[in-house]
Amino acid sequence: MIKNYFILAIRALRKNKLFSAINILGLSIGISASLVIYLLVNYHFTFDKFEKDSDRIYRVVSKFNFSGENYYNSGVTSPMGPAIKKEMTGVEAVAPFRTVDEGMKVTIPIAGADKPQVFKNQNEIIFADENYFNLVGYEWLAGSVKTAFSQPYQTVLTEKNAALFFPNIVPAQIIGKQINFNDTVLTTVTGIVKDIEANTDFSFKTFISKITLEKTSLRPHDWDQWNNTNGASQLLVKLSPGIATAQLEKGMYGLYDKYRNKENDNDSHSVSFELQPLSDLHFNTHYSGYAKPLANRSILFSLLAVALFLLLLGCINFINLTTAQASQRAKEIGVRKTMGGSKKQLIIQFLSETFLLTFIATIVSVLLTPLILRSFSGFIPDDLHFSIVEQPSVLLFLLLLTVVVSILSGFYPAIILSGYKPVLVLKNQVFAGTSKTRQAWLRKSLTVSQFVIAQVFIMATIMVSKQINFTLNKDLGFKKNAIIYFSTNYNDTVAGNKKLLLQKLKAEPGIAMVSLATSPAASFSTWSSIIKYKDGKKEVETDVQLKYGDSNYLKLYGLKLLAGEGIKESDTVNSFIINEVYANILGFQQPQQAIGKFLEWSGQQVPITGVVANFHQKSLHEAVKPLAIGSWGKSENNISVLLQPKNASGDNWKATIAKIEQSWKAIYPDEDLAYSFFDEDIAKFYKQEKNISSLLQWSTVLAVLISCLGLLGLVIYTTTQRTKEIGVRKILGASVKQIVQLISKDFILLVLLAFVIAVPLAWLGISKWLENFAYRTSISWWIFLLAGTLMVLIALLTLALQTIKAAIANPVNSLRTE
Amino acid sequence: MINLKHIFKWVTVGGSRVFLLKDINLEVKEGEFISIMGPSGSGKSTLLNVIGMLDGFDEGEYHFLQESVHTLKEKQRAQLYKQYIGFVFQAYHLIDELTVYENIETPLIYQNLKTSERKAMVADMLDRFNIVGKKDLFPAQLSGGQQQLVGIARALIAKPKLLLADEPTGNLNSKQGEEIMELFKQLNNEGVTIIQVTHSEKNAAYGSRVINLLDGRKEINQ
Repeated sequence: MIKNYFILAIRALRKNKLFSAINILGLSIGISASLVIYLLVNYHFTFDKFEKDSDRIYRVVSKFNFSGENYYNSGVTSPMGPAIKKEMTGVEAVAPFRTVDEGMKVTIPIAGADKPQVFKNQNEIIFADENYFNLVGYEWLAGSVKTAFSQPYQTVLTEKNAALFFPNIVPAQIIGKQINFNDTVLTTVTGIVKDIEANTDFSFKTFISKITLEKTSLRPHDWDQWNNTNGASQLLVKLSPGIATAQLEKGMYGLYDKYRNKENDNDSHSVSFELQPLSDLHFNTHYSGYAKPLANRSILFSLLAVALFLLLLGCINFINLTTAQASQRAKEIGVRKTMGGSKKQLIIQFLSETFLLTFIATIVSVLLTPLILRSFSGFIPDDLHFSIVEQPSVLLFLLLLTVVVSILSGFYPAIILSGYKPVLVLKNQVFAGTSKTRQAWLRKSLTVSQFVIAQVFIMATIMVSKQINFTLNKDLGFKKNAIIYFSTNYNDTVAGNKKLLLQKLKAEPGIAMVSLATSPAASFSTWSSIIKYKDGKKEVETDVQLKYGDSNYLKLYGLKLLAGEGIKESDTVNSFIINEVYANILGFQQPQQAIGKFLEWSGQQVPITGVVANFHQKSLHEAVKPLAIGSWGKSENNISVLLQPKNASGDNWKATIAKIEQSWKAIYPDEDLAYSFFDEDIAKFYKQEKNISSLLQWSTVLAVLISCLGLLGLVIYTTTQRTKEIGVRKILGASVKQIVQLISKDFILLVLLAFVIAVPLAWLGISKWLENFAYRTSISWWIFLLAGTLMVLIALLTLALQTIKAAIANPVNSLRTE
Repeated sequence: MINLKHIFKWVTVGGSRVFLLKDINLEVKEGEFISIMGPSGSGKSTLLNVIGMLDGFDEGEYHFLQESVHTLKEKQRAQLYKQYIGFVFQAYHLIDELTVYENIETPLIYQNLKTSERKAMVADMLDRFNIVGKKDLFPAQLSGGQQQLVGIARALIAKPKLLLADEPTGNLNSKQGEEIMELFKQLNNEGVTIIQVTHSEKNAAYGSRVINLLDGRKEINQ
């Protein structure tokens, strides 16, 4: 019986090649989108599930509150780990580890060779001990967790990393080999572990025994300081079953309060310790992750929505085309019913047809998926793979999707088709009564919803590009073109090196200006401090962002001085230039009033010597914050370079940068120059928006395509139905234009109706999205008009394909067939 | 076998009733061969559809074998005609997507018979109608007479007690029509009860009794 159904289904598909193709294409676009998005969502949501009892593992993170503003740090004060272990109950395991912020130079001495093997800029190195390995769970290929971390200067490598450092050597033989980090830490390999196959943020590759930090000169200055929080100091804990996190968080604050140095502490901020569940680690952007980029839950959910919409569009197409064609199958249904076919049997027959069609669409989309993955490579993490054979969950998902889509798109047409009364069908009266009009009404509303979705997509795409354009072209209050910047080594002990480099660069003709500062005019990083101002009676305490630079800093970035004078170079902070926002907070109506007033910072009185116009020191997502700029020679190690304008051939920058590299190498022979173009970095603030924009563009194209396919199907059906009418009208003297108008009018009305519905929906969605920006472009009426016009034009074009053909057909032919 | 008592069927047009069937009383015994005649619109097909349970009626009683059809639910009625009644149509109404073999097989599928049983029964039927060679052809590849032959084979495959035919020869030429009528006569002799609607006196003569309809009423008959 099943076989019989499928033979029938194949014949039915073949009979209506065009409609089948439209349906398959529409469905496979939706299914492909769902598949890719499933892969992506599944990838992100399976992070760190493999650890044993992962629901009881937490990362301890710190949350600070400075004058009403929250700051988040993924690390925790260093003595917290040992203190929890010693003094608290309810914790099964405590695993502190320390990350290394900057890339390390790894040197492998090779016996018999003059030169050691050098690997520059190695990342994902941590200082850890056996607690970390037991908690996360590693498979040991050589060495053992018991002994690998017992002594200082011991290193454990993952299998892949070991293969990089020691190619062609089996793990057991790597034990005992030496690795030198940054030419200062000479360690011995004591273990090799398998790389974690499952998706995880704990993708570290090199582990140095934590005791190395504790017992040697590498010991960080914050090692036993309760008042210092360093993001590198990470702490994982595993709670005993049934322990409430709130109770533990309170207990940790108790420890902090007991040990902190109360005299030296600033009371104006409060810290709280939070237990971040392992499942939150990959998504919470307040707290940074490790090497792998974190995912944004809301983006993943919007992606799911996009997939759902595309899938829905495909299903709507199917329902529309199938019910439109239903009359052609009415005879078969009538005959089958008189032959004794029950409604149930007929429904099963039609559903199996739909299933077959969906199944073909699924196969098509599986074939399409590698292509889509490639074209979306910007979003897709490198280690996301697609293989049906290796991923049974994908197969299961596809099967489920096929069944759900079949039922979703097949059920309604099946009910309609199987509901025909045989006697009416056989008398050719199938369209008598109200059922036809009801179906037409349904088809129309489905078509309208298709175009609503398509137009909302178009409007959103235009609006997102407009906002991105706005952010990239807005006057940020500083110059951003022709500027490159780079950092000198923070740990460089020779203070004269950077001055020397600066001198060399100043002499370079391709460079217009150089400046030494803590950071460029806008950057991701924040340095802030509490500054007090006593205004006779009341005291104003503000969390102020700080920048330090030399006398060229304002000029190089084109920052506008409103009052007072520019930065006077100094080795210690002895004056501040503040921005307008801060001047307003302090209550100065005119910039001039601020000059000469004193601020209390870090226990000293510092005079205000200037006021600069506001500029955006962060992305446009955030409002301009109070800012103070000073000069502090010691902490400035970021060099900004203003290049001469590009010449006609455009190669002068390249040459100048090569010169800069030369000068750099002369001073820092062991380090590579890592420079960035300032304007490109500003653009990176909006990377997420660009990703959204490209995704939207794709979705829009697909949504419009599916909708037009549906429209095409409907118009083909309509023109076939009305062949006779068109013939009669032509004989009565109607022109081609009039006939095209006649047929197109109904469809265009549907598109216009969809426009009316889409406008408020898109407006709501867009204004919600724009709330992410402190500075945003306006929602203009022309966006909606443009989107609507575009849609009508596309619809007209689609209609024209068929209507013109129908209109120019010779009426003699269409009437003769009657 | 069939007993119709005071059957009325009407549609309401513009507030007034138009009768399709008006006070029809009819008794059909097993083994009869009845022809229904009358001008277009006299209600012949409607009566046939009512008898075939494809169409309902508004008033009256219908007894088929031991069952009171007017009290049965849709599903039970379907069960009843599935088991006892075969239909033959003027336009053959074969399913275009199915081969001759599959067309004949369809009623058996709906009776949930096993593949092996179906095979045997269809093979018998093909044999009997001399269309074994055409079993893999599609309806479009057959002549009208051949199509009607398949239609009859399909109607008979489930061994119905009653065969209802709505102008079975209407679309055929006279020779083909004659062959079909001969076949009906033979079937009748084998014990199948037949009710046919026809315009042709000649075809009506094959039957044992003629019922004349006019405007939904039964005319006095011979």
